[in-house]
Parts: sequence; C-alpha cells; structure tokens
Amino acid sequence: MAAKKGKLTKVLDHLKHEDPFSKGVAFCPGCGLELLLRFIPQVLGNDIVITGTPSCSAPVLLGQNNQSWHKLSYFGTLMTGAAANATGLARYYKKAGIDNTVVCFNGDGTAADIGFGNLSGAAERNEPFIYICYDNEGYMNTGIQKSGTTPYGATTTTTPKGSISKGKNLRRMNLALKMAMHKIPYAATATLSDLDDLAKKLLKAKEAKERGFVFLHVLAPCTTGWGHAPENTIEVCRRAVKTNYFPLWEAVNGKIKMTKEVKKPKPVKTYTELSKKFVNMTEEDHQILQDDVDYEFCILGGLSQLEGECQLPVSAED
Amino acid sequence: MSSNKYFKHEGPWSDANDPLMVSDTGDWRTKRPIVDKDQCIFCGFCAIYCPIQVMEMVEKSHFKPDLDFCKGCGICAKECPKKAISMEPEGDFQK
Amino acid sequence: MITKAKEKTQIKVITGNAAAATAAKLACPDVVAAYPITPQTEIIEQISKFHANGEMDCELITVEGENSAMNAVTAASLAGGRVFTATSSWGLVFMYDAVLAAAGSRAPIVMVNVNRETPGIIAVSSGQQDMISTRDAGWIFLIAEDCQEVLDLVLQAYRLAEDYDIQVPVMVHYDGFYLSYLSEGVDVPFQEDVDTFLSVLKDQPQRTKLTPGEGLGCGSHGILGGYLELRHKHVSAMERSKEKFDQIDKEYEQIFGRAYGGQIEEYRMDDADVVLVGSGSMCGTIKTVIDEKREAGIKVGLLKMRMFRPFPGEVMVESLKGKKAIGVVDRSLNFGHKGGPFYTELKSFETKFEGSPMVSFIDGVANTDITTANVATMIDTICDLAAGKEVPEVTWVSYPEANDPDSAKVGGQ
Repeated sequence: MAAKKGKLTKVLDHLKHEDPFSKGVAFCPGCGLELLLRFIPQVLGNDIVITGTPSCSAPVLLGQNNQSWHKLSYFGTLMTGAAANATGLARYYKKAGIDNTVVCFNGDGTAADIGFGNLSGAAERNEPFIYICYDNEGYMNTGIQKSGTTPYGATTTTTPKGSISKGKNLRRMNLALKMAMHKIPYAATATLSDLDDLAKKLLKAKEAKERGFVFLHVLAPCTTGWGHAPENTIEVCRRAVKTNYFPLWEAVNGKIKMTKEVKKPKPVKTYTELSKKFVNMTEEDHQILQDDVDYEFCILGGLSQLEGECQLPVSAED
Repeated sequence: MSSNKYFKHEGPWSDANDPLMVSDTGDWRTKRPIVDKDQCIFCGFCAIYCPIQVMEMVEKSHFKPDLDFCKGCGICAKECPKKAISMEPEGDFQK
Repeated sequence: MITKAKEKTQIKVITGNAAAATAAKLACPDVVAAYPITPQTEIIEQISKFHANGEMDCELITVEGENSAMNAVTAASLAGGRVFTATSSWGLVFMYDAVLAAAGSRAPIVMVNVNRETPGIIAVSSGQQDMISTRDAGWIFLIAEDCQEVLDLVLQAYRLAEDYDIQVPVMVHYDGFYLSYLSEGVDVPFQEDVDTFLSVLKDQPQRTKLTPGEGLGCGSHGILGGYLELRHKHVSAMERSKEKFDQIDKEYEQIFGRAYGGQIEEYRMDDADVVLVGSGSMCGTIKTVIDEKREAGIKVGLLKMRMFRPFPGEVMVESLKGKKAIGVVDRSLNFGHKGGPFYTELKSFETKFEGSPMVSFIDGVANTDITTANVATMIDTICDLAAGKEVPEVTWVSYPEANDPDSAKVGGQ
C-alpha cells in the first residue's frame, strides 16, 4: 500500500530559477561544492555574475576554450585578487547603471588565506557584492593541503601523520566572525544540511548587497579530501551544526543573531567520527578541539546577546 | 586550420549560447538508487540534497533519478526519511 | 617633437604626475583604482581631488594594495569600462600576477608606471628596472621623455589599448623623480578636443563585454590548441600595435598639433654618422649634448624609443641602417647578460644594420644622473668605435669600477 503523501519540503519553493549547470559535470560523487554551486543560482537567478578562482570549482565554473559548463556570466580570476575583481565588476555596473548581482565564489584557501587581504579590503570599503566562501577546510583541488580553516587535529597532506606529528597542530580561524566584525550589512554562516536557512540567507544577501558588502560562509564538506562516505555529506553538515562545530548565525551590520539554536549540543566527536581526516586524533586531541568549539561558541553567544542596534556608518564611497 | 578554431572572441571567452559541455557522469555510478514509489511520501528531501539535482518529480507522487547523470553518491537514500530509496549494485543492471 | 601653431592653447606649469592625472581626467574613465607608492602617489592624490570636487565622474576604488588595483581595473575593463590606474616599482611587482592576467584576458587597461628601482636593494630612486621586470607580461610599453609627452602618451594609450584591432593593455612609463616631480609647461588639451580624439573608438565594433545574463564568461581554460590560438592572437595584436601607434601619433597631431614620430622619435638622425639610442628623460640631456657636439663637427644623432613593447625593431633598423656606430643607453640591468636590456634586444637586429657596430651603456640607475658629461663620454666612445678603435662592449658610465675586467672575477667581498 502506498505511503501517505507528506508535505513537500519548502526548500523547493526557494528554487525559483533554472539550474544553469550542465547535468554532467566533473565533481566527485557526493560533492558538497556541487550542491552549493547548483543551489545558489536556483535561488538568486541565472542573471548573477559569478567569479571563480583556481580551486575545485574552477574546472566547472570556468569554461574550456569557447565552451561552458553553465549558462551564467562568469569571470575566472586569480586567488590573490578575487574580491578585487568582483569589486571592479560591481563598481563598473554601478557606474554604467547595469542591474547586477555579483557573486564572488571562493574556497577557503582564497577567502581565509591568500585572498584574505582583498576580502577584508572590500568589506572595509563596503563594496556592493556578495562574497561566498565554500569552506572545505583546506586545499582540496591541489590534493588536500592544510589551510587557515583546517581544524585542529585534521590530517592533510601538509599536516600528515608522522613519527612526531599527527595532524594539524593549530586551531582554525573563525573567518565568518572576522568578516562580521567589519560591520558589513550582512554576514552569515550556512551549511548544506539546512537548505531553507541557506536559501533565506542568500535572499537576504541579495537584498543586503544593495547596501554594501555581504559575506556568506558555507561549510561544504569534501568527500574525497575528508574521507567521509559520499552519502554522508549532508549528515556531516548536520552534525557540524548539532555539535556547535559550525553554528548557524547571521549578523546584520555586525549584530549577531543565531538562526538555529541547538538545544543540547552533541560532543564534537559525533562530528569528527564520520571523517577519516580526524582519525589520528586521540581523546586528548578531541578535548582540545571540543574546548576550542566551546570557546568559539561562547564568544558568539556573548556577541549575539549584545544589546542595541549597531548602525553601519555610511560608506565614504557610496 | 582556421584562425578561430577554438575561440570565437579575441580573448579567453566561453559562450554559453552554444551547447553546454556535458560529461557522461552516469557512467561513473557503481550503485544505482532505486525508489520505492509506495514508500515515497513525496517530501522532496532526495531532490533538494541531490548534489547534481537530478531527482525528477513524477506526477506529484514520487521522485525518480535521471540515470544518465546520477553519479550514485547515495545521498538521496541516506537522506530519505522513509528509507524509500535503496542503493543497488550497478552490475545487477548490466546483465 | 613637431609642434604646429594652434589657435587655442592652455599652458599650465605642472609636474609629470599632474600631467598623468590630468590626462586620466580628460580620458573620462569609468573606474579608477588607486594605491599610493612613491613616486607615483601624487597621481592618485590629484585624481582623488578631481573626484572630490566632482570634476571626475568615475568610480574611485581606494584599494588596499596594488594587486587589488590591477584586479579591480581588469574586471571593470572586461565588463566594458574605461579604466585607469597607476603604480611604480614594488607596486608593479606586487600586482604582477594580475598584470599577466590583465594581458592574457586582453583587458584594454591604461596604467601609468612611474619608473623606479625594484627590490631587494632598497632604492627610492629612478631607474627602469621595474619596467624590465615586467617586460614579458604581454603589455604594450610606451615611454615618455617629458611632462608634455606624459600627458600626450596617456591619451594616445587609450586609443591604442581600446582599439578594436588591438585590445591589449598599455603601460605608460616615465622616469620617477626626474619627471614625476618636475614641473614644466604643459599644453593641456581642451576636453572637446580629447573627446574628438577618443571618439574614433566609439565608431568601432564593440569589444566582448562581461554582462549579467548573457552567458559569456571570461577566463575560460585555453585547452591545447586553444591556448596557442589565444597566444598567437595576442602576439599578432602586439605586432599590429606598432603601425597603429604611428597612425595614432599622426591623428594626434591633426587635433593637438604635436607629433613625435610614433614608435620612435629621431633627432638629427638624417646625416648622423654615430647614434645614441635612448629612452625617457635622458633624451632631453642627450639632445643638448648632441647640439654641442654638432657644433664641434661631430655628426651624432639620437634615436629615442617611445615604444619598448612590442620592440620597434623594424623602424629602428630603417633608422640605424648604415650608421658607423651605435651606442644604446640602458637605465636598467639585464641579469644574466652583460649588456643592458635595450641593447640586448637591439643586438638581435644587428645583422640588418649593414654592419654598424654596437655598444652598451649602463647609466642612470638608482638616480645616478645621466649628466651632459656622461653623454659626452658616451658619444666620444661611439666615435672611437666608428673610427675602428677597440672599446668595451659594456660600459657602466657612472661606475668605472665595473669597467675593470678584474672586478668581476672574485665574489664574496
């Protein structure tokens, strides 16, 4: 007997536009990046201009000779200056009176490491575009190397297990919080398990970029680089949220608000146990990571309880 | 050889007004998602979480993967709240 | 330079940097990116002032570094805008990856580079080493001799870069300190004349532009033959830019009454026996010394290079053919080769000069003045060369120690 039909997920209501990508593109099975990349233009529209850098997104985002993998207008650029490129596009469109949504789409290597200077600069100048960092916590495309967002304990090819070492010995930077502290019109975190939340944040981003710079930090697990089963990509995201490893929040003009309250956070181990990159962590290492997660969440909680509306000063360049 | 054999423009421009490139990603699959129509409650979770967005709606009753492109990652099966999708070895269908 | 009498002129006493900023203003760019570096800073200060006073209707992006300056103007240019930026020395090197990307994506940018020495010997002083460090970037390089030519070249650069047949970024170089801060009389064109001069571009087919919703993308991978095709198109466009530049120089004369000769400017070359080849601000000094030497009966001329990339070899050969001796003055070094960079490149055309011997002079590096005495020494040397005497292939004019063959034999001290 057929099951009683339930209610169709409201996430589908957000997908108002066509998926502009070719159906067959060369991302790994279970790729978080692929889902994110197909999701964004279905929410924001196919008239966005997307910029991409050398990364796992480049082979698909950028064409080959005259041919393309998707229907979006795009600019393939350098990791060093991605935010500056997007600035140039958005400013010219502003000058020429061309309606535009420029989406500067980069991995954590660009956003947190080599391109952070110009990301911060664009935020300081309150440039009118959307910067999205898809965070797979390392340089996945070049073969899984450590980045500034690689978490404590994670094994990568530049933080390998050796006789005197067993993974990254440093904490990850909190990129999204750093960006929110620029007091930009909109900053938010999101991940692939919570697509309704992601869609709403994308729509808020589109609206907020009329007032200036927008930063979205999206956790996008890499099945190949992290060593989780392809079918677990969404589950990894879900557990990242449920352990407060990756809390979901947004900040309007720097004022932080949680968008998903986790009533009883699970131990971070329930997150790390799904991915082989954490396999070399001892109990002690897990405690260090747990302490760091708790510390970060504590700061976020404190900031989100700050009273009073933080008004963004009007940009001198507007 | 024509001087404009590969590019239509002076610089490194691609043009999506021409047919898009497409890879035969269906050929990568080692496991195939099989949807149990009777178990399906038509919630759409398989469709939204499918990384390649190939779960097609069938008559507002259930979803069906486009096997030409489905890579067989298994996310749809994993995320289905009713366990209405099973991943079957692709070899079973090659006979 | 040939100057025709014009009915209307407005002479202003301004610096080379102010001339560059004024030219940028007259070109009405859509987007300007600005970042300070000595000795360029005055340009962006001037532009910021124009912008602040509403005299310049552009998007002014006060970037956080030169790398971003180049990235921002590249994208704005590919989106369809007219753009301007300026830099110098370490700033040029800091934007190097973006300089390559700008050229490879064929963004018709105009950038001023105020020549200055490059790291790691810290030298806040003039020299063309920054230009040489980026010579293979795929940009067109133009070099100005004085403040008037700075202004004129920036305007000519827009016609060249944005020409539909060219679409290659252009860098306008001039000597830092010598020209950047030198005030002299500059005939500042009227806006309507500049508009007329640049309006030719509007009548051409429009270049490909990155527009929302049109499905065109810039930055596609060049796969195998595609890569070769684009590189060949780029190299071909640079070749075409030589004659185009000559033509633009002529059209410039029609409107503004000033012509320089295009790729090269010849000074007293017609009956010259010996020739100095130079570029930039040194040429004023060289012309002065040539006049003196001429009075003493020495038939010497100057070939001034206004274009360095592409290398104007063909017109130089025409100009130098049959001369008895040639001395090339370089304001930079060519690491890995004893002779200066201009010398080395010109040397590859040597067989076409019908046997004129050539020597290299290194001078003016790090603000060592190329004095009239230095130029006289160079002319004496090439006269010796013409007379069949043995002279060193390379002479460091302001550092005689370098000319002792033993000086190169031992290191570490």
